[in-house]
Amino acid sequence: MSKQTESSLFLLGTSHQVANLNERESIALPNNSIDSFYQGLNALSGIQECLVLNTCNRTEIYGAADSSFQFDSLLDYFAHFRELDPKFLAKKTYQRTGAEVVRHLFEVASGIDSQMVGETEILGQLKKAYDEACERGATGKALNRLFQKSFQAAKWARTNTGISKGQVNLGNVLCELARRIFGQVDKCRLLVVGAGEVAESALEAFKSRGSEAITVTGRTFDWCPLSRRKPDELAQKFDGFTLAYSKFHESLHLFDVVLASTASSQALLTQEQIVHSMKKRPSKPLFLIDASVPRNVDENAARIDNVYLYNMDDVSAIANENLQSRLAEVEKCRVALAKRALRLWEQMRAQPSLPS
Amino acid sequence: MWLATTCYGASFVLGMVKTRHSFSPLFRESPFILILAGIFLQTRALYFRGLEVHGCPLGNGMERAQFIIWSLIVAFLLLRLLCRINLLGTFCAGVSLLLGTLSLGLKHWDTPYWTASGYVRLFKDPWIELHASIAIFSYGLFCLLAVVSLMYLSQRQALLSRKPGFLGPYLPPIQDLEVAAMRLLAVGVAFLSLSMVVGAMHWTRHPEFVSGAKLTVSTALWIGYLFLLCMRLSNRLYGSRFAKWAIGLFALALLSLSIVSSKVKKQAFHNPSLPPLAHLIQ
Repeated sequence: MSKQTESSLFLLGTSHQVANLNERESIALPNNSIDSFYQGLNALSGIQECLVLNTCNRTEIYGAADSSFQFDSLLDYFAHFRELDPKFLAKKTYQRTGAEVVRHLFEVASGIDSQMVGETEILGQLKKAYDEACERGATGKALNRLFQKSFQAAKWARTNTGISKGQVNLGNVLCELARRIFGQVDKCRLLVVGAGEVAESALEAFKSRGSEAITVTGRTFDWCPLSRRKPDELAQKFDGFTLAYSKFHESLHLFDVVLASTASSQALLTQEQIVHSMKKRPSKPLFLIDASVPRNVDENAARIDNVYLYNMDDVSAIANENLQSRLAEVEKCRVALAKRALRLWEQMRAQPSLPS
Repeated sequence: MWLATTCYGASFVLGMVKTRHSFSPLFRESPFILILAGIFLQTRALYFRGLEVHGCPLGNGMERAQFIIWSLIVAFLLLRLLCRINLLGTFCAGVSLLLGTLSLGLKHWDTPYWTASGYVRLFKDPWIELHASIAIFSYGLFCLLAVVSLMYLSQRQALLSRKPGFLGPYLPPIQDLEVAAMRLLAVGVAFLSLSMVVGAMHWTRHPEFVSGAKLTVSTALWIGYLFLLCMRLSNRLYGSRFAKWAIGLFALALLSLSIVSSKVKKQAFHNPSLPPLAHLIQ
């Protein structure tokens, strides 16, 4: 392989693999400076096409260049733009050329290079970055082909390997369990008792799946002005409803999913109360999530027919097991993507789409 | 019929494998293609057997079991046109493999009744044939109901174990299975009631052809399923108890077939005036 062809595709980037959160924060590009960063990039010697991917976990510059391109000039420009020491930037970034760029992009797009292996958000971010680069006229024949193929590779990896199987985020695990009980999560009526972090994560997950019937209640609802996460604020944030705490027991039968996340030292829901509410919804299942320590739901409730009770240990164990099964698939996926990347690279070399 | 059973078996194995591993699109559809191949082969086999016995092949245990499997797969294919239920085909293929192997493996289930001296064709009257085929089709629906109930119990067990499990994430949701079970029960009871009406018309004309034991068992089963439907509609029986009842009733229905036939066979043997296969009319 000639040196000229090798250097025609390049990548300079940083991610959780090489830098910690503070370092990534210092390297990441502010959203309002992307335009000027692109202008500077285009002015660099040898760069013919470029694309900037800037997310919370990674900042990467992809490009196609001719033989006059020098990595050091790009590194200097980046360090100068972010007012960083070039030595620090060189240490906290990785550089790739040629086939390595293709392989890296395929791995990023498919989510196996993400902190949360198999997550799908990165593909959306990659598509957005590509669209923005196209709008700026920064991409050309080589990057267009490379990115289109990376989207296809990501789809292939998700369909044909197990890297995205099972949920690993607590809120998503709860949604998946709700799906296994009720089918359509968006039709579930969710009641959140309390306003902890787990409650917020669950609300986010249910809301993102189109759930409209969200209700929040809590003991600090009326009388605790110092509460930092008052239930009504949470309800407002997710376009939900609020329910007076004094009425939540008698309204229990109206909800399909009940998440208790309070700091109460006493059980908020006893077995008798749940039996009583189940009589009002005889053939409909009830999904109870006890995210509190100490527990807020009587554990004997799990013995009631059609009641599915989970606590945070159960949910965490499922998330961990799913993550392990994803990790077991990563190597298989990496090998398959490497083959696809090599094939694409050979095609790109054979066709005159790369800058010479 | 062995070929059809092999197809169902292969479909079951591939269906189970594909839930855990990812394969090419062609492979993903192969369990369903194998079920289609199985039903085609089974239909041909039953057709040839029908030509051999000069009627609907429902004369011995093997034929009845094969006809129930055929009805189960037809009911599954019809349901698949209306809605997709994950893994239902795999479970149906598994049940077909089990019942098919049992019926073909036990040689005494397949007695060559049509070669016996004095064999009288079972279905001279087309109304009896209609009655028998509707009844067996309703058995197919009840078999599908038992399969759906089994899936319900598997999903419930997976959820209660609070672990991802082998099949749990791939099984259909609890509520969908409960709705499907209720609809299958309603349709099955409607078909069984229709067959009872047609059968009763024949019985009032020729009571000598229907034994008391057969009449009692058939009526008891019909009442059993009707009772189950009423209890479910009034929300007195639901969830896991309903699923267990559905499986139990189908097991009884299968058991009753052999009890009735063996009892009446003896009578038929000792009573030359009774057509040898009249007891089989369901």
